[in-house]
Amino acid sequence: MERLTLLAAAVAVAFAGPAVAQEPPKDPPVIKIGAIFAMSGQASWYGTVMSQGMRLAVDEINAKGGVDGIKLEAVIEDHKGAGGAEGVAAINRLMSIHGVKAVMTSFTGPTLGIAPIADQNNIFLINGGGVGVKMIGASKYIVHNRSLASDLALGALQVAQSMGVRKMGQLHWKNDVGDNIVATVDPVWKKAGGSVVATEAVPQGATNMDTQVAKVRAANPDFIGMWMFTPEVGLALKRVREFGMKQPMIGVEFTANDAQIAGATAEGFLYLNDYFKASDDQPWSKQFAAAYEKRWGQAPEFYAANYYEGVYVIAELAGRARKKGGDYLNGERLKAALYENPRVDSVYGGQMTFQANGVAQKRVGLFKVEGGKGVFQKFVEVK
Amino acid sequence: MDLALQLLVNGIINGSHYALLGVGFGLIFGPTKITHFAFGPIFAVAAYVCWAAATKLGMPLAAAALVGIAASAAAGVLSYLWLYRPFERQGSSHLVVLIASLGLFITLENAIGIVFGTDTKVIADLSPDIFLWGPVVVTSIQLWQVAALALIAGLLAAFLRGSRHGKAIMAMTDNGEMAQIIGIDTVRVSILAFAAGSAVAAVPAVLILFKEGATPHMGFVAVFMAFVAVVVGGIGSFRGAIIGGYAVGIVENIGMWEIPTEWQSTIAFVVLFLILLFRPAGLFGRALR
Repeated sequence: MERLTLLAAAVAVAFAGPAVAQEPPKDPPVIKIGAIFAMSGQASWYGTVMSQGMRLAVDEINAKGGVDGIKLEAVIEDHKGAGGAEGVAAINRLMSIHGVKAVMTSFTGPTLGIAPIADQNNIFLINGGGVGVKMIGASKYIVHNRSLASDLALGALQVAQSMGVRKMGQLHWKNDVGDNIVATVDPVWKKAGGSVVATEAVPQGATNMDTQVAKVRAANPDFIGMWMFTPEVGLALKRVREFGMKQPMIGVEFTANDAQIAGATAEGFLYLNDYFKASDDQPWSKQFAAAYEKRWGQAPEFYAANYYEGVYVIAELAGRARKKGGDYLNGERLKAALYENPRVDSVYGGQMTFQANGVAQKRVGLFKVEGGKGVFQKFVEVK
Repeated sequence: MDLALQLLVNGIINGSHYALLGVGFGLIFGPTKITHFAFGPIFAVAAYVCWAAATKLGMPLAAAALVGIAASAAAGVLSYLWLYRPFERQGSSHLVVLIASLGLFITLENAIGIVFGTDTKVIADLSPDIFLWGPVVVTSIQLWQVAALALIAGLLAAFLRGSRHGKAIMAMTDNGEMAQIIGIDTVRVSILAFAAGSAVAAVPAVLILFKEGATPHMGFVAVFMAFVAVVVGGIGSFRGAIIGGYAVGIVENIGMWEIPTEWQSTIAFVVLFLILLFRPAGLFGRALR
């Protein structure tokens, strides 16, 4: 009798356990994915590209039935490329009006602004564009599928070292991204035996950087580190060459916009970046590039690829978390779902692995501008 | 020393650009007393229309530039007739007109982005000649920036001193009410001022298109520097606007000789604050009145 009782109790426990774990998932009618992009203002090019990648992914996933039959919806807010205040206003709208629990964020300033709000409200954040190192760990729930600028710049130093150059001149954005790169690369370069002969700051959005270029020229560096982003990269390349400087230039971004601005003066520019390449041996990347070009009439930038990929990451995590039931659509559950298996399919090919600091580890590509386009040279393992 | 020379030359080039902006802004602000912040996106209109005429219609650059300048002048006149004039008729305060102008600024800037896209528009294959004068480097477009100021300032001086309409602009600049009392058609003169001021500002806009490309937001810095040049030089003084433009351009370049460039964008504000503090009428404002 006692054995029977024990057996009955064991059976009861065995059934009770799974019953708790497999509480039915609390499905929303639609999974709303928020996005906070620079849809207007000086940096609106980024918002356009990022939103195009996001929308394409949402539509593709919905066409395939959504997440276990639940459709996705993109809700895009505008931070105007500005600072934290615009980001805070945007995430408040996303939460209060749309009730989103997963947000794609961009730019360092707005992301740092929304991070504490995400923590308080249990919102999952994924950044595919911002490159400021301060974003690492800014929120419990933030992850990045974009290599950060300081990592790319360290990779650029490795390339410079391999060229045997010693005197570095720098042109950098005067904002947290540019300042962080300078703070990261200066000690590394000096420790490696190099010297920094000029460090000139260019305000984001500046159209005239003749003073900065003149000062770099006067310092006569062996190479110039371009720690800035579009469109200033294109303009800087143009002005450096127009000032008669022949030194190699190495940077962390070069877009079609920069190519337009710099024209032939961009030839030979080396840069490191997330490497998106549509190729026959990477079927998903090929399919994405074709679909993007068909829909938007232009080849995808890596920003588009990152936000496209980011939607798939959220969908994958929502699917994983849903299998465990309950209220699964929130930062805690989605982040936990990610770290159960931090390897996730990447549109760049293969899989990416999210490190403990939240940054996805991808090899970065070294490119050289030839004929106005970045031509892949090799992969660089950033150390 | 080589660096100082280069910075001085850069300052003169930038100063010429700011001076033209200041003259254009002053041509409108002087007689109408309208703080025309929409001057910025109307400046951008010139660059975009020039770009479209050159790249979409295949027009020669000089002709495209003229089309851009004409478009800017037309946009300036329309902004007066459709926006500012109704407020004038109602006797609205300067503050109301100022806010309306800011609204127009945002509307036009966004409209440019929507119509033309937000990427930088450039004239492809336009390679300026580069001149090496000892340690100093200049491009042909930069020389055009300096020459444009000399040419326009000369023509404008002749127009303002020698023509009936020019004298009417000067009379309104000096005293609008008195000009009205003595029979000057102030509405007509205001239209002329908006056309001339917008056309003058269109010239540096087109040159910036050739030099750096056009973006929807290029007008922000333009209107700000125009405002600084006018305030520094003295409101109502065209000579002052030119000297104010040069003062800002040279100080923000030469000032960087020993100071880190991260301070550059602060320099214009410092100059503005100092002038407002110690000479509120600007360098030439009091003398002309």
